[in-house]
Amino acid sequence: MSNLVEQLLNALALAGLLFLVSAGLSLVFGILRVVNFAHGVFYMLGAYLGFTSVAISGYFWPSLIVVPPVVGLVGALLEASTLRFIYRRPPIYQLLLTFGLALILEESIRVLYGNTAKGIDPPPLLDGSLDLAGIIYPRYRLFVIVLGLAVGCAVWLFLTRTRAGLVTRAVAQNSEMADCLGADVARVRTLVFGAACALAGLGGVAAAPMTTAYLGMGISVIVDAFVVVVIGGLGSIPGSMAGSLIVGAAQTWGAFYLPETAMVIMYAVMGAILIFRPWGLFGEEE
Amino acid sequence: MRILAVAALVALAIAPWALARYQLSILTDLLIFGLFALSLDLILGYTGMVSFGHAAYFGLGAYGSALVLINFAQPIPVALLAGALLAGAVALPIGWFSTRATGIYFAMLTLAFAQLLYTVAYKWRDLTGGSDGIAGVPKTALYWGGPSLASAQAFYFVVATCVVLSLVLCRAFVHSPFGRALQAIRENERRFTSLGRDPRPFKLVVVVVAAVFAGLAGALFAPFRGFASPEVMFWVMSGQGLMMVITGGIGTLIGPIVGAMVFILIQEVASSYTEHWMIFSGAIFVLMVIFLPGGLVGTARRLAIRG
Amino acid sequence: MRRRDFLTAAVVGGAVTIVGAPAFLRRAYAQNPIKIGMPAALSGGNAQYGIQAKRAAELFAKDIKAKGVLGRPIEFIFEDTGGDPATAVRKAQKLVEKDGVKFLTGVVMSSEALAISAKCPEWKVIFMSTINGAGALTAKSYNRNFFRINTSGPMGARAISLYLAEAPMKRFFALGSDYAWGRDSVASFVDQITAAKKEVVGKDYPPTGTKDFASYIGKVKQSGAQGVYLVLVGQDATIFLKQAHQFGLTREVKPIMEILELENMKAVGDAMVGAIGSSRYPFTVDTPKNNAFVKRFHDMHGIYPDMFDGETYEGLEWLSQVITKAGSDDIEKVTEAWEDSPYEGLEGPFFMRKCDHQAVQLGFAVECVKDPKYPHPIPKILATYPGDKVTPKCRTEDFS
Repeated sequence: MSNLVEQLLNALALAGLLFLVSAGLSLVFGILRVVNFAHGVFYMLGAYLGFTSVAISGYFWPSLIVVPPVVGLVGALLEASTLRFIYRRPPIYQLLLTFGLALILEESIRVLYGNTAKGIDPPPLLDGSLDLAGIIYPRYRLFVIVLGLAVGCAVWLFLTRTRAGLVTRAVAQNSEMADCLGADVARVRTLVFGAACALAGLGGVAAAPMTTAYLGMGISVIVDAFVVVVIGGLGSIPGSMAGSLIVGAAQTWGAFYLPETAMVIMYAVMGAILIFRPWGLFGEEE
Repeated sequence: MRILAVAALVALAIAPWALARYQLSILTDLLIFGLFALSLDLILGYTGMVSFGHAAYFGLGAYGSALVLINFAQPIPVALLAGALLAGAVALPIGWFSTRATGIYFAMLTLAFAQLLYTVAYKWRDLTGGSDGIAGVPKTALYWGGPSLASAQAFYFVVATCVVLSLVLCRAFVHSPFGRALQAIRENERRFTSLGRDPRPFKLVVVVVAAVFAGLAGALFAPFRGFASPEVMFWVMSGQGLMMVITGGIGTLIGPIVGAMVFILIQEVASSYTEHWMIFSGAIFVLMVIFLPGGLVGTARRLAIRG
Repeated sequence: MRRRDFLTAAVVGGAVTIVGAPAFLRRAYAQNPIKIGMPAALSGGNAQYGIQAKRAAELFAKDIKAKGVLGRPIEFIFEDTGGDPATAVRKAQKLVEKDGVKFLTGVVMSSEALAISAKCPEWKVIFMSTINGAGALTAKSYNRNFFRINTSGPMGARAISLYLAEAPMKRFFALGSDYAWGRDSVASFVDQITAAKKEVVGKDYPPTGTKDFASYIGKVKQSGAQGVYLVLVGQDATIFLKQAHQFGLTREVKPIMEILELENMKAVGDAMVGAIGSSRYPFTVDTPKNNAFVKRFHDMHGIYPDMFDGETYEGLEWLSQVITKAGSDDIEKVTEAWEDSPYEGLEGPFFMRKCDHQAVQLGFAVECVKDPKYPHPIPKILATYPGDKVTPKCRTEDFS
């Protein structure tokens, strides 16, 4: 029983991180119609910048607040300097452009930080473990679960309850129409791209104390995030939430009960969902 | 101009004598990857579908031929056939499911199936050697009791012949009425449907045909490198295939071969100057996508038409 | 159509001219230096080992610079494989065909080693392993061009099992990276421990590059094991140990490392104190030769040598002695000179068995301890086993 609860918490913590990445991926697709391959690299950038920031300041919390906007800024600049020019092309070109950007960013991080993984210690408040009625569980992971949930609610409230969110959704629905109605579509795109990158960066900082900052973390997370958004539906925030939970659960329980087939299970679940709902659980048919 | 084609063939024919050992290896390498990219162009360039899982077929071809060569010591052509057919056979169900979706969802589905096959290759240790792969794949004979292909030159000829024949076959394929139907789907799928024709069987056939050629490339790769591992079916490989097609020129057949050449040469040249050659190939690629969407061959053609 | 023909010609012409300066120009290359190719993982999650091999080569190059070998200088050529076997074969092929090396070493992953080793007879080069642990390399996949200087995974498992046979712990869980080294070593450990009338209550194989070990930690906890045998490669081990600490696992279960490395001790810090394991080369071994080496190494790199710094240095020194003895860098002559030959290594005597090209050497059981003299925890030697006790029967992974 205690084991079951522990595995459930593990699944939730993993889902929290996945959500921070996949929400942005999904948002960018919904509004820019771009599948952003470089998205995972922004997550990695967040983790590395988090490491630097903790190394300089000695504190974790300021890093958690400062790093995401920096990552977002990098993302926005890249969008404005490359992607902006090719929105009219078939989607393959945007996909490949971001693929190229991912290669460049990943290699740049390698140049700057070298090859060894960089660990961050959790802040003192979250260090060590908590005894939950006999289940010893790391405090930091509990924090990640809460963070994922909080960000999920915040994004949802922003999109549904604020004027800026309304404009964003309008651009997603019909960018030409929104343009006619006076929305600055180019700006919305850049801001959304930047915001999505900031979310990924936040995920990266949050992940670093759990998994360390390492090269290749971008690539491994983006593949999982693709699975998440494909299961949940591209462009849907609730979909990302559901997808993150499914993937988190499949990976955690898979590794626990069926270690030899864990990875196969995740892709099999994805394939099965797509066969019956090719546009994902919460996605809309094209 | 046909003379130039002949000249090209002659150049390919004399390459083993003109090139040093390592240069011949590179040429063999780029021909194999050229064939892989060429097969992807059938789907991407001529039917307008973005397959993000093409490496799966390359990998299936590699495993098919590696297993035949290691376990049964059959001649190379048997192994090539086995690899290509295995890829084609697996492409049938995958193609059937994935052609139900279009656009970005097709890309995602192909990616998912490819990753599924990758994990199967990674986990099915008894058959595939898991992440260690299959080492020591031999270059056997040309036919039963025939001459050995173990030398670099002999094997190069096998590769060159396969690639040239594949190019000829693919050209015939895209210029056939069937190929023209594919291009009609690419240009306007809705109109194609409204003419009372179902595009799905066409798409399915092109996926299977492309898989067979990708499988052939993989089947050549395994004995050439002496090795097959799950990495050859990882999605990075699919991404590189797309990069080659876009760099060389989408929908040109010869373009992807040029793209493979550029890709491998950049890697070769830049990596001897810096460990961080990926920055350069990434940057070149990004610039290509922004400024030369037709790729090298597409752009060269446009210039030739204008000038 | 015409343009296409033209382009076909251009492609081929380009390939011939760009890739190809005529062959004879290349052949005139100076025969002079003895070239040693190192297709090592210098990037990726296992780069720490490639970097160790490179550090050792740098020190060796400095030490040998004055006299050279056979009066010829030694030249090292590095290629980064990223730890991927397919890339490793390609890079090794480049070193052999383009740079003309006759000796390959510094290969990091066992999977890379298996792939490269299989090609060495065809390339006619010697592959000297100083890192690769998979038992198969000198057993099922043996070939005459492959020499292993380092302790293999099964040999390490043997050493720690001999130690554990005397220890009070009874139940173990084994966790090995899902590739040749991890699988081979776990299999060997299970055999040894079972033979010692103790129990392995569970085993699992996380994929290389796993970053979240929560599920595996849960399993180890649930199994009721007293010790967890870890055969995790590179950064995986560091990450596992950190997470195990966060989950409070290390309070209940003792980590037993296949290779107890400095790299992990530095990264994990005090949380690792108390972990035991086998070591292929503990830098704390007290011999005059080793003490001098540790000092030279520290002077050059500013750190203490890790396991593969030592093993690679030994390999290079031994190889240069063998080439001198053979009087030539001819592969066949070097092979013959090497077989059944002894060498005085940093930590003690070595002997290269002719039957499977595995170097017989001392085995160590070590413990991670704190010592105020060092900036990080260090390996303390708990027990030393003679070579014949920790080396498997020829071309097998079995011990008598």
